[in-house]
Amino acid sequence: MKKISIVFLFFSLSNIFAQPNCEAFKHYGDTLKYKACIKAMEISGHYQFSKEYQSILDRAIEIDSTFDYPYWAKSIAYLKSGDFITWKTLIDKAVALNPKTHLGYRGWCRYQFFRDYEGLIEDIEKLDSLVDYDIGYSQNGTYHLNIAKGLCYKAIGEKEKAIAIIEKQILLNEQENFVGVYDYLHLGVLYWETNQFEKAINTFKKQAESNQLAENSYYMALTYRELDNPTKYKSCLDKTKELYISRKRMFDPYSNPMDKIYLETIENEIKSSL
Amino acid sequence: MKKTFIAILFLMILSCQTKTKSTQSYLRWVGDIQQNNAIDDSDFRVCKGDDNVLQYFNLSEGPVYKGEKSSILDLFKSQYKPFIDNKQNGYIRLRFIINCKGEAGRFRVLQSDYNYQEKTFDNRIVNQLLTITKNIEKWEILHRDDISVDYYMYLIFKIKEGQLIDILP
Repeated sequence: MKKISIVFLFFSLSNIFAQPNCEAFKHYGDTLKYKACIKAMEISGHYQFSKEYQSILDRAIEIDSTFDYPYWAKSIAYLKSGDFITWKTLIDKAVALNPKTHLGYRGWCRYQFFRDYEGLIEDIEKLDSLVDYDIGYSQNGTYHLNIAKGLCYKAIGEKEKAIAIIEKQILLNEQENFVGVYDYLHLGVLYWETNQFEKAINTFKKQAESNQLAENSYYMALTYRELDNPTKYKSCLDKTKELYISRKRMFDPYSNPMDKIYLETIENEIKSSL
Repeated sequence: MKKTFIAILFLMILSCQTKTKSTQSYLRWVGDIQQNNAIDDSDFRVCKGDDNVLQYFNLSEGPVYKGEKSSILDLFKSQYKPFIDNKQNGYIRLRFIINCKGEAGRFRVLQSDYNYQEKTFDNRIVNQLLTITKNIEKWEILHRDDISVDYYMYLIFKIKEGQLIDILP
């Protein structure tokens, strides 16, 4: 759990790390980009939705229209306000100018905000083809981008492919001792959906050890039902409600994660179990 | 005289171009919606003034709905009548304000295809989504420091061949 907290802390500060190093442009003699960068850094202290923040970045773009950072930084408020048209125009410019830096972010946002499954797959596979290093994590730190890609393959109906991608990435994550907060849960659900019930139970147990959630207990209950184990089915369902009420459940500040359940779902299942 | 006129005209055009380029006007925040008496319900009021309307995610609750998201999904599933047409594909976003009493107002529509390019859906789709959303009487009341606030919320509808296939966030 401590490691999970560290991961969240790291990514909650990710905007700080995403700032460009202006001095590097100066060092390499790109005076225009250096000036645009210095201007862009004036956003510090301004809310990303504010006119001050947006206007400063407009001026940075006026100084050097080939500098990717201001397009990316401007795009965030449009994304979060649901203005997908302006967001896409801005982020596309950032991607065109610096694909290795922004493809992973764009792909993740297409999934997180718009459930654009094909869009994420396209961007992440493109990124993978461009770099020879690890493609990294989603902006919020919840998933390795390959796990997100697996979830998108699941959403478009390619469950076997999704399982293969997620199994492979979890193995790598385990080697790094850096498994995502929902990784085992999603894999367990995939096993359950493809009638691999023993594998599902083992995977849900791993999730419970690292980060127990209402969703994990719920899908475990459904799996025990399939395995004709009514005692464990009912005890898992009771546990599910307890976890849900104590807010131990999937959460994303901007959207509802895949495989998330709601109180109504739990109560309906409890009623049908009686 | 003619040369002077042309010179003045040239300077005016140049001035307009410069103004367009360097002074894009913004409201207080991206996505702010100003009251428009021609289209907005005049009875709808924000409680704390337009300058204090937050975004739904500023309150760290995630996207919240009365009765959770499942209630919104159930509502549209039961009330939306698909308009079957293979050209009706893409996203429709309704953005609006929820005031401190849980009432919604100032609805604005944004429409695009699946490549995020602006498009116009058939009115029979858009109007249905607007009507169902406007008929929701009570939204979740959000608080900051135990005081109820006004906040922006949006719903994005994914449409495939006129059918509603998902609601976000």
